[in-house]
Amino acid sequence: MQPAQPQQRTSPTDDLEVAILNRGRELVAAEPRRSAWRTIDDAVTRRVSAEPRLRSAFYRMVDVAPVCRSYRDLGAHFVAYLRRGGAGRRDAAGIAALAALGLALAVANRVAGRRFIVASSPQRALPYIEGLWRHDIGATLDLLGEAVVRAEEADSYAARCLEALEILGRAAVGRSTAADEMPAANLSVKPSALTAEIRPWAPWSATGDAAARLRAILRKAQEVDAHVHVDMESLDSRETTLELLGSVLAEDEFRAGPSIGVVLQAYLRDAADVAEVMLGYAGERDGPVSVRLVKGAYWDHETIEATEHGWESPVFGTRAETDRNFELLTRKLLDARPRIRLAIGSHNVRSIAHALAYADGSGRGRAGLEFQVLRGLGDELAFAIAACGGRARVYTPVGDLIAGMAYLVRRLLENTSNDSFLVARGRSADLESLLAPP
Amino acid sequence: MSEFVNTPVLDLRRPAVREQVGAALADLDRRLPIAAPVLIGDEARHGEQLTSVDPGATDRTVAVAAVASTVEVDRAVTLAAGEGGRAWGRRSAPERAAVLERAAGILQERRLELAAMAVRECAKPWREADADVCEAIDFLRYYARQAVELDRGGAVASIPGESNRMDYRPLGVVAVIAPWNFPVAILCGMTSGALAAGNCAVVKPAEQSPGCGALLVAILHEAGVPAAALALVPGAAETGAALVEHPLVDAVAFTGSLAVGAGIVERAARLAPGQDHFKRVLAELGGKNCAYVDGDADLDDAIGALMAGAFAFAGQKCSATARILVDHVRHDELAERMAGAVAALHVGQAERLETDVPPLIDRDAMERLERAGVQAEAEGTVLARAQVPGDANGWFVAPALVGGLPASSSLLSTELFGPLLTVEPVAGADDALARIDALPFGLTGGVFSRDPDTIRRFARESPVGNLYVNRGMTGAMVGRQPFGGNRLSGTGSKAGGPDYLLGFVEPRVVTERTVRHGLIV
Repeated sequence: MQPAQPQQRTSPTDDLEVAILNRGRELVAAEPRRSAWRTIDDAVTRRVSAEPRLRSAFYRMVDVAPVCRSYRDLGAHFVAYLRRGGAGRRDAAGIAALAALGLALAVANRVAGRRFIVASSPQRALPYIEGLWRHDIGATLDLLGEAVVRAEEADSYAARCLEALEILGRAAVGRSTAADEMPAANLSVKPSALTAEIRPWAPWSATGDAAARLRAILRKAQEVDAHVHVDMESLDSRETTLELLGSVLAEDEFRAGPSIGVVLQAYLRDAADVAEVMLGYAGERDGPVSVRLVKGAYWDHETIEATEHGWESPVFGTRAETDRNFELLTRKLLDARPRIRLAIGSHNVRSIAHALAYADGSGRGRAGLEFQVLRGLGDELAFAIAACGGRARVYTPVGDLIAGMAYLVRRLLENTSNDSFLVARGRSADLESLLAPP
Repeated sequence: MSEFVNTPVLDLRRPAVREQVGAALADLDRRLPIAAPVLIGDEARHGEQLTSVDPGATDRTVAVAAVASTVEVDRAVTLAAGEGGRAWGRRSAPERAAVLERAAGILQERRLELAAMAVRECAKPWREADADVCEAIDFLRYYARQAVELDRGGAVASIPGESNRMDYRPLGVVAVIAPWNFPVAILCGMTSGALAAGNCAVVKPAEQSPGCGALLVAILHEAGVPAAALALVPGAAETGAALVEHPLVDAVAFTGSLAVGAGIVERAARLAPGQDHFKRVLAELGGKNCAYVDGDADLDDAIGALMAGAFAFAGQKCSATARILVDHVRHDELAERMAGAVAALHVGQAERLETDVPPLIDRDAMERLERAGVQAEAEGTVLARAQVPGDANGWFVAPALVGGLPASSSLLSTELFGPLLTVEPVAGADDALARIDALPFGLTGGVFSRDPDTIRRFARESPVGNLYVNRGMTGAMVGRQPFGGNRLSGTGSKAGGPDYLLGFVEPRVVTERTVRHGLIV
């Protein structure tokens, strides 16, 4: 991997900017109204986030909730978090009131949990997924789990993947998809859950172990005509992931199938180099490779780790830089069709509109382009994209709350981050500025 | 001087960096064995009485050293105590700081070479070896700044007609007796601390790592530390004893085992005929470091931290995690997952980046841990053991997780200094604190909890010198986590901390009456 390259401010043509504005307006107009639940949930979360002491206590409580043995235990934790946040003894009455609020939030937490994590198992998630299919919206299933620290846990994750593929494959029988589209049965797989042996400083040491499990998953996907999307996590596992894919996809057995996907994170300074690696996979395969382009969800982790070790941060410091890189990569990957299928993984209407407008202006139209949103955050957007003639897919996590906690906290933070596009929209910043070039 | 910043460790996630370390090791291998002479003043006496070998391939000789005799120790100490040595202490603090800063620069340039030496001589895996060298650089830079700071003197009040000044003078000659487990960092830390404060240092590296010591002392000389102010006296117990007992030695800086440390404290307390001062002892000794895992802990995080704390560098760190005390409600879950994680550990050569657990330092260590393993089987249950490479010619021991030990088992109270981790259920935080309090040690401790009250209790009541909350218990950083233990774990000094240099100086107060003929002049 090469070191960071200077990012140039892109200068799309005026025609493209006009088209982006139009696509963006259409999208916003097509969005269905948010449910009352969602509106209340968002309002509560935003309210909590406005008060630093409450915000910290709330996240700590959400984090600890699944291991608390009772509501009493949970309440005790919450009170302790609030006191640590600076409340003195004299604030006892205030604390009691806040504890009551804590309890209310605990209930809200359950609701929030369901909001982001749709069900506890793939079988239970089927009604939701089939509901999406009826609206011509796709889904990709993500199996949440605890960190994998031993071989048995990796085995059990792989077994859950096989089971999920079986269930999805059966449910998708008879569902036709376009030639340039991924199969309806669609599973996202985490490399860090395929092996307990990831060592960031020795990426080769995990690939053999992970490859054995990935092969079984690919074979099953082949058998039930499903798509397997290999997720990208933090930089600690990036090279392992890329080596794993590079070695397995080059094997004769998987040269032609199943449908396979990878993830490109635009917040990485060297994302363009990673894109080249991915184009390389596509070059060696008989079928296309899908690339899910995302901003990247490990910004805090990467920044903290770099600071702790005195390293230059591998991620861009500002959202605008990431957004610009995102558009640059969008165009690069759209130009690489049909070898590449592009899935835009963003809730940023500007980013979505940009991909639509650029595709429309290209010779290939919207073939091989789809949009992916997160369950609980981008549901309305998925409907809007479908209504505007785009292909949408919802990233659908399933699993129990304990296992899903890391995921849940990340999503909640995303939903209240000052830098979030969704929050900016929630504050009803005007559409023109939201759609302006980054 | 610029503000102190920790030296960044290598980012071994980058392939280009991994290539560099491979090349550095190949370069070093061509130069082996390294010579570790007795260095006194301008004289170097080479010899081959002592050799260090690669603990992972014992037919590879890494360094050949001369052993300093009692006569040579006497010459080194006498030279340091004489005019030549004292001249170093009379240099201004900024001058001494500049020399140490220069040494830091040289070490920075040669960091891969020094780290490769630690890989070979001590089977210290690359990431640990690199951190070792970075810490050495940090010590040089940090103590350089602290020396300048100390030179400002102590804060004392003056009143009209009376001028007071408190300043700190070097003690004189410091005997540095260094360990092999941080063959560069700790030797460098104790030596540069002594030098920064204006003392002379007579340095005895561990008998297992004379090569690392010789390279470091050469760098300090190259940077401008006068030959008379810094001597190298390789050797074993006899050389160390001669140093400690020498009447012209003013202080002993020692890092090592409790047994040796206790002997040093005793010997240093004896006054030799004609000796005109008490010897100070700055000792960093062992520990039996406990980590408490609370009922509400995040096991995903805790397991990673516990595994690294117990098994990195095969547990051969005084800060290593030795005992897990876990709330009984989480015991079975934690023990089962830890057992799986231990079974998956990769035991191998230190030079291989995928190695989790390298060989132990020497045959004694290997046999000690093998005996402990047999004892564990007799007294409790070995919950998991990792595979050991069958064909290697080195001091390999299978890392193990042990449970079910009776409270009376010596495996729960003596330091093993190797890859054996015990796990035991406790009733809760009270029970855990009581068990920790019952130990004679007080070095590092860990607590994994999401309850602020539990964390506060540990912060208040735990007797350890360094308590780590919701993170691994090793890897103290200079300037950020000053390191050192209490009770029998040490004499209370904090390496890499703001008051470390106070151990190497004596305070003096000068009071001057500034009144003449009833007037303040």
